[in-house]
Amino acid sequence: MARRADEEYDYLFKVVLIGDSGVGKSNLLSRFTRNEFCLESKSTIGVEFATRTLQVEGRTVKAQIWDTAGQERYRAITSAYYRGALGALLVYDVTKPTTFENVSRWLKELRDHADSNIVIMLIGNKTDLKHLRAVATEDAQGYAEKEGLSFIETSALEATNVEKSFQTILAEIYRIISKKSLASDEPGPASIKEGKTLVVGGSEENTKKPCCSSS
Amino acid sequence: MAKKRIDDYEPGPVPPPAPLDRFGFVKPELSYSHDDSMKGRSAYEYEREERRVRKWRKMIGVGGSDWTYYVKRKPHVVKRRIRKGIPDCLRGLIWQLISGSRDLLLMNPGVYEQLVIYETSASELDIIRDISRTFPSHVFFRQRHGPGQRSLYNVLKAYSVFDREVGYVQGMGFLAGLLLLYMSEEDAFWLLVALLKGAVHAPMEGLYLVGLPLVQQYLFQFDNLVREYLPKLGEHFTQEMINPSMYASQWFITVFSYSFPFHLALRIWDVFLYEGVKIVFKVGLALLKYCHDDLIKLPFEKLIYALRNFPEDAMNPDTLLPMAYSIKVSKSLEELKQDYEKKNQKPVQSTEFNEKQKQSQERFLLSKRS
Ligand SMILES: Nc1nc2c(ncn2[C@@H]2O[C@H](COP(=O)(O)OP(=O)(O)OP(=O)(O)O)[C@@H](O)[C@H]2O)c(=O)[nH]1
Ligand SMILES: [Mg+2]
Repeated sequence: MARRADEEYDYLFKVVLIGDSGVGKSNLLSRFTRNEFCLESKSTIGVEFATRTLQVEGRTVKAQIWDTAGQERYRAITSAYYRGALGALLVYDVTKPTTFENVSRWLKELRDHADSNIVIMLIGNKTDLKHLRAVATEDAQGYAEKEGLSFIETSALEATNVEKSFQTILAEIYRIISKKSLASDEPGPASIKEGKTLVVGGSEENTKKPCCSSS
Repeated sequence: MAKKRIDDYEPGPVPPPAPLDRFGFVKPELSYSHDDSMKGRSAYEYEREERRVRKWRKMIGVGGSDWTYYVKRKPHVVKRRIRKGIPDCLRGLIWQLISGSRDLLLMNPGVYEQLVIYETSASELDIIRDISRTFPSHVFFRQRHGPGQRSLYNVLKAYSVFDREVGYVQGMGFLAGLLLLYMSEEDAFWLLVALLKGAVHAPMEGLYLVGLPLVQQYLFQFDNLVREYLPKLGEHFTQEMINPSMYASQWFITVFSYSFPFHLALRIWDVFLYEGVKIVFKVGLALLKYCHDDLIKLPFEKLIYALRNFPEDAMNPDTLLPMAYSIKVSKSLEELKQDYEKKNQKPVQSTEFNEKQKQSQERFLLSKRS
């Protein structure tokens, strides 16, 4: 498969952003891909899409990120986008307990629609709103450990940990993929044509790791 | 948890004055170009506009009854004039006449007020969450808890009570917001009812019901229309694994009001209210056709970007709309609908469901079509 000259990368990783409406998914994405934040951004209708190419563990990785509408009704359209995703950023709002309570429902969604070895990272967003915090870091951390998810807290507004959260999940995906290609004795990393879903190696075993601490 | 009503909030500070376009949207700092076409209006154009308004006033006559008569006698004249654009000063009124909402309003006095004041809705918090995220750059909706946001809240809440099956779904706010720029809350509410319940055209509620059945159907139809009318592009989309849910969901769910230039959205709405959803398909196809030669060269990512950010010249209503009108879709749409229903076994709206709906709304539509 040919790699495009103007957009060279070693890997293409598809990642989805999910979580309740209003938790800040679109702003995390715009902060990560364009370094922009908007206090009065429009709610997402259906899906949005953006990419960024960056260095992960010494490799050039292109992250292809699908941002989905959070309202439950929209899952009819958005769940189709979980397929083929190697990673999922599951976002809640640290000032809104219900968005944290709903995390388990989102996990179920992923189990029903995504590949079984998808890497999931739990993100508590809006840490800048200190006086409004309603979900304790320890609670979320504990939950993440129990469920085998990575965990991080972010502020899209202040650009805190946004870069780090994406870096972490991409690195984790990378580690799984490179392990896999070692296991299946593939020569070097595959280059993936732009726009095509990455099919992870041929091995059948589930390489999902219990937990990868992000801090 | 104690529910907060929007009336419990103090209005926020009035946002600082900013340069607005002629529709009341804050102008983007960099590009003022959208409105350039409106700036250098010649005396000739003003005269033409005035002549148009006079013609329209004559069509409306003294009130609704003259209009009904005119539409019956000369439907093609009306259609032609609407396709050229309804004069902005008469838009609100004409929209209510052609959508059938005026009749609903007259048949149901006091109902809106009751819905707003006495009923509570499970969607109240969802609506509040989205209020400031609907047309955030329009002067009417910018002030936190200001009059614009209150009206928007009231209309959406009233609808979510009126039709609990639909409730509130993101995207409906853009419909309501657009209407509120041209009419009162109560009028906007009944127009929303007319659209979703299908007073004149096919009901739109399937766009918002659980499973979004009508969105799925429309996307299926649109996908196939692209293949039929623009086969090369359709083939390119297949190769690049592009499907319409990646770019066209919001076209249908908000009837182009989510992200298209406002002056274009208005022109589309003029036709949409008179001729129905067909125009959404036609405009979508016309956009693809206009950009065909560029799109066909683009790889996946650039393609998605291009499909969500059409160039300004493509969105000029005076070129795009005539192109859209020239595309005939009715027959294909009907056939594709049947294909879709066959493919999905059961029809989009089961009759059983419709029965339930009707019952729950009967107490509001007191004397519909008596
Ligand atoms: N204070 C603060 N506000 C934020 C932060 N991130 C997002 N917001 C605000 O929260 C609101 C919702 O943000 P979005 O990014 O649109 O939320 P979303 O998750 O994409 O919502 P949907 O598209 O409806 O699913 C907006 O008003 C943002 O400005 C943050 O880190 N801090
Ligand atoms: Mg969003």
